[in-house]
Amino acid sequence: MFSKLSAATWGEVGKAKEKGFFDFDLFSWMAWTWQTAAFFIFIALCITVMLIWEKKVPGGSPRKGVLGLDTTRGDRLFVSLLGSAFIHLAWLGLIGSFLWIASIICVAYFIVVFKYV
Amino acid sequence: MNKTINQKAWFFVIPVFVLVAFNAAIPLMTVVNYSFQETFGNNVFAWEGTRWFKQILLSERFHAALGRQIAFTFIILLIQIPLGIGIALTMPKKGWGVPVCLILMSMPLLIPWNVVGAMWNIFALPDIGFLGHSLNGLGFDYNFTQQPGDAWFTTILMDVWHWTSLVVLLSYAGLNSIQPAYYQAAEIDGASRWATFRYIELPKMKKVLTLAILLRFMDSFMIYTEPFVLTGGGPGNTTAFLSIDLVKMALGQFDLGPAAAMSLIYFFIVLLVCWVFYNLMMKNEAQS
Repeated sequence: MFSKLSAATWGEVGKAKEKGFFDFDLFSWMAWTWQTAAFFIFIALCITVMLIWEKKVPGGSPRKGVLGLDTTRGDRLFVSLLGSAFIHLAWLGLIGSFLWIASIICVAYFIVVFKYV
Repeated sequence: MNKTINQKAWFFVIPVFVLVAFNAAIPLMTVVNYSFQETFGNNVFAWEGTRWFKQILLSERFHAALGRQIAFTFIILLIQIPLGIGIALTMPKKGWGVPVCLILMSMPLLIPWNVVGAMWNIFALPDIGFLGHSLNGLGFDYNFTQQPGDAWFTTILMDVWHWTSLVVLLSYAGLNSIQPAYYQAAEIDGASRWATFRYIELPKMKKVLTLAILLRFMDSFMIYTEPFVLTGGGPGNTTAFLSIDLVKMALGQFDLGPAAAMSLIYFFIVLLVCWVFYNLMMKNEAQS
């Protein structure tokens, strides 16, 4: 379904494309790929989980974390996501390959933020 | 009393939701999509992975633009904040002077950004502009279209002229909200002018000043129109701040992939600084 959205490899550039399911003009300019779609689905999932969590335990469990800031669950998600972006960028800039190691570091970072910040 | 539960109000949120989707969420998603691909237009894209991010992070050009941007923002904050407080302190507190000062102060803020750029461009032209011609007449070798130092001087002067008023108005509002009792107490204690400023006025202005610094930081960090009209990023690349460099890359060179990666990195920096300022402001709030 998503594979028809854009030229997936260099070999397909310039060749006539089969029209895919989502391949109408209103949509194709956004140049979706399954990787970026997965990323946004992950973000949407995070927000959904937060929503369910808030329904189960209302109030956002505010506390004063190790940084001395008053944070709620939402703040912690924001710090985790923004921090993960910087961890990935730092890894790309300083090391370059094996980006998945940065992703593993980010998972650990997520846990630390949600526990202590 | 029984409250009727009516969730129909949620429908009123739909227009805002659609607006935000079209002017923020969808473009941002597209930028993310572009940053991982190469394109030559015509809606044909090829997957490139993290290549553009690596390229931007290691590029001398990006480092230089970021350096210029930070330097510019730092310099204008260093000038505008003390200058703004100073002007606010000297402004009259009552009488006919108040509206006169307030209107004079808000005038630069009302002028459209590209007009400010055009005005200063003509004003600073070395042959016919009042500023440029006068400086040359006084014996300074001034030409903002050719000398990087002069271009920086003019850009900073323009920004100070355009935006110091904002700091003045915010500081003035902060000063006016201080209760007279504080000043009376200071007078009874025989406090000097400096002590009054340091221990009464400055702490009371903390909130508005944080706001002023945040606003000035954001505006100057994303500055585009004024330097674009004034210098066009030149001479060479010496005043090409982040936004100007970004537009050059995206529209001038049509390097949409690298430009998207650069704008995401730019966005993350802005987001980080906003978060820091937001927390500082919330801390102030909690203290007072």
